[in-house]
Amino acid sequence: MHLAEMDHLSVNGKGFFHRRGTLSKLVFTIFMLSSWIISRELSQLLLLLLLILFFFVMGSIPLKKVGHLALYPAFFSLIFALMMAQQSWVNGLVIILKAVGAALTMLLLIATTPYVDIFAALSKVLPGLLVDLMIFTYRAFFLLMEKMQALLRIIRLRGGYDAMTPLKNLQNLTRALGTLVIQAFEMSERIYQILAIRGYSGRIPLRHSLKPRGTADFGLMLAGMVILMGTVMKWNL
Amino acid sequence: MSHIHVPDGIIPLSWGAGGYVVSLLIMILIIRSMDAAEARQRIPATAMAAAIMIIGMSVPLFVVPVHLSLAVLTGILVGPKMGFLAVFVVNLILASFGHGGITIVGLNTLLIGSEVLVGSVVFKGLKQHLSVRKGAFGATMAGVALSMVLMVLLVGSTAGFSEVLPHHHHGEHDELPAVTLTETQENEPHGHSHQHGSFHEELERIRYFTFTGWAAVGTIFLAGLMLEAAGTSLIVGYFQRVKPQLIDR
Repeated sequence: MHLAEMDHLSVNGKGFFHRRGTLSKLVFTIFMLSSWIISRELSQLLLLLLLILFFFVMGSIPLKKVGHLALYPAFFSLIFALMMAQQSWVNGLVIILKAVGAALTMLLLIATTPYVDIFAALSKVLPGLLVDLMIFTYRAFFLLMEKMQALLRIIRLRGGYDAMTPLKNLQNLTRALGTLVIQAFEMSERIYQILAIRGYSGRIPLRHSLKPRGTADFGLMLAGMVILMGTVMKWNL
Repeated sequence: MSHIHVPDGIIPLSWGAGGYVVSLLIMILIIRSMDAAEARQRIPATAMAAAIMIIGMSVPLFVVPVHLSLAVLTGILVGPKMGFLAVFVVNLILASFGHGGITIVGLNTLLIGSEVLVGSVVFKGLKQHLSVRKGAFGATMAGVALSMVLMVLLVGSTAGFSEVLPHHHHGEHDELPAVTLTETQENEPHGHSHQHGSFHEELERIRYFTFTGWAAVGTIFLAGLMLEAAGTSLIVGYFQRVKPQLIDR
């Protein structure tokens, strides 16, 4: 599952982006995303794509492990790209590049920043209850995914899952999900009791400093701003 | 099923920002309307439901990546208010690794949130008169159908309905008959029937494309609708046999 892969990369990575502060990476991501969304010229988008690929190399992020995730937006943008391609193939290509580029920008952030750090940054602006829900969901995912993988393994071993029999799969999968929900809800009651004993009052304290960690952090934010300015400015070359 | 996998850069940014503002306002209202102790108590169960939505979406049912979204099931299990919060968290996590654009998380939350709301309310009403499984099936049909209609309206109104479906692009269809007929009457009186015939052929072609386009969209949506409803109904039926208190809340 992608969430587990990304979590492993972000926690265990040692690249340039992994060492930067969460705030600087968030600011950089916002600038980069804005650049992708604002750009309409094919040449600009190609340049942005080269830049983002350079950042992946610079951050020691294995494109083989992450790159396939950019295929999802490429696939879903294809429908819109085909519509636009009726007017001009360049317009179609622009749509695909924008989608893939924005997704790669998000992947760069997620592959270098643990989710908990992002939730800590979001806790500054979002209601505490919502951030708690994010943290619990993130934790619950890993607990339940392990159980679901075990259930699916049992179903497969007994011949209950075959890619070519969707109705049989649906029946067996729903039973597995039903079992998982029952186990999950029983677990949630125990979790709440433990939290209540520990004095949970509606906001899990997240100790994470958002302050930039040095000149490299300021440099990263500045780089993002320069890229956005370069996208907005008109170039008469 | 109704989850919009529309990537960033297609739907205008103003729509995406509007979606975020409205969904955040709704979430703030939900949190304020709830008793703090009750909300705290329900957080772990809601998180479990949200995690199960992500897991459900990651298990393909067929050789192509068709999956269950389990949004209505989440509404049935944790109620529409907590279900809406769960939907936002799920969309945010999915968008972080490329499943749907990060700029449309708000819009996606509104769409699937409406599915959660309608599904859970309809289920409550239907289970008084029908069996729990039939109630879950009907509730899912109602919820998913609504969110699908909203999704088509949203994508159609931003991309343009004329652009959503395949069609001929040799000029504006409305102008075609006027130009053809005028030219025919003035320049080629004997060619009238030929031009008239080509106009009808053109019209038939447009109708054919429009019909096949909508038919394809309709068929895909109907298949997804039935799959989600059957899946939710089977899971709820399982709860009724094994742990009925889950759906009697």
